[in-house]
Amino acid sequence: MAATDREMNPESEKLQFRLDVPFPSPRDASIALGSLSPDREPRKGGIDKQLMVTDRTLTVRWSADEARILRVSVDSFLDNLSLVLETMQMFAPPASQ
Amino acid sequence: MTIVIGFEGSANKIGIGIIRDGEVLSNPRRTYITPPGQGFLPSDTARHHRAVILTVLKEALEQAGLKPADIDCVAFTKGPGMGSPLVTVALVARTVAQLWGKPLLGVNHCIGHIEMGRLITQADNPTVLYVSGGNTQVIAYSERRYRIFGETIDIAVGNCLDRFARVIKISNDPSPGYNIEQMAKKGSQYVELPYTVKGMDVSFSGITSYIEEAAHKMISSGQCSAEDLCFSLQETVFSMLVEITERAMAHCGSGEVLIVGGVGCNLRLQEMMGVMCEERNAKLFATDERFCIDNGAMIAQAGWEMFRSGQVTELEDSWITQRYRTDEVEVTWRD
Repeated sequence: MAATDREMNPESEKLQFRLDVPFPSPRDASIALGSLSPDREPRKGGIDKQLMVTDRTLTVRWSADEARILRVSVDSFLDNLSLVLETMQMFAPPASQ
Repeated sequence: MTIVIGFEGSANKIGIGIIRDGEVLSNPRRTYITPPGQGFLPSDTARHHRAVILTVLKEALEQAGLKPADIDCVAFTKGPGMGSPLVTVALVARTVAQLWGKPLLGVNHCIGHIEMGRLITQADNPTVLYVSGGNTQVIAYSERRYRIFGETIDIAVGNCLDRFARVIKISNDPSPGYNIEQMAKKGSQYVELPYTVKGMDVSFSGITSYIEEAAHKMISSGQCSAEDLCFSLQETVFSMLVEITERAMAHCGSGEVLIVGGVGCNLRLQEMMGVMCEERNAKLFATDERFCIDNGAMIAQAGWEMFRSGQVTELEDSWITQRYRTDEVEVTWRD
């Protein structure tokens, strides 16, 4: 589930984007967070990304100066998320999930 | 008994290997090969790795005859290397480490090469020449660090060879360096090329731009063939490497040389280094293409050493980095 807010905040005038990803369990969401949060954004400036988990949802919030910077970061995140999900599906311990 | 799985994908090779107490149980690998005249770009390379990594992981476990529960530690390449390919591999390593409840270990790629070289050849305390498409360093161990005695001040020797391969548009299959080596064997004329050694260090950008510019003119005017240039390029750059290796050996009073990294597969380089070693009464050690070329088992082996000496990488510290000096790592597993 994705929500796009084009908030023209008078203070920052930054573009905002929010992604909520539901998982089957809180543990799954926290594993995804553990895998996706360590790496820094390749771009030095113009983009800020925050990840957090509440219950079994992973929430990602972006704040960017320009649309194309936001697009590249979100695109890249979705590729990475998809790889993490595929890995979890293929290699989850047999007993759980 | 300690079993470590290692994930490697910092350039165009993606490999996952499993080591149990010095025994390589499995070491499958895939190479992203681009058409002649083209190099590999980070995003395409990452896409290649993403497409095959889970299959390679399954192969690694199956070929070793192991289940995830049998693994003691998950090692992966923290750096150096290309950004997006490194991330792709780190994501899978972090995910399985958490799924299987195993400790994680971020490994320096260069140290992976060194530790695999040490394991396979059983060299005692060699001067190491690490040469690949991305790195060119002369390394010696001293007091808990792999010290860099000499290195390239610009591009790696393998990068020079790969770029020349693109200029003459030869195949990148199995690797451009391999094909240059085969063509060099048919060369008969030595063409003088710039030779650049600066003290303990080397420089390859000069010879690269020279040969990129001159190659077409020289070949089309019939002055020499592409094979002659392959031969001359190898003779020149390999001589430079032998010179700085010898200099480091003289400084350290070392009687052993270990060549690691993809360019280390080159038999002409091994031959030239062998001549120098014989003149100094020193021993030469090298490995074959299974372990010279980037592979997962070398990461597993370095990880095995690090893990057994008590190191572990916390998730929040497991970020990848494109720049990671060999001497940044504390070598806790040696005296």
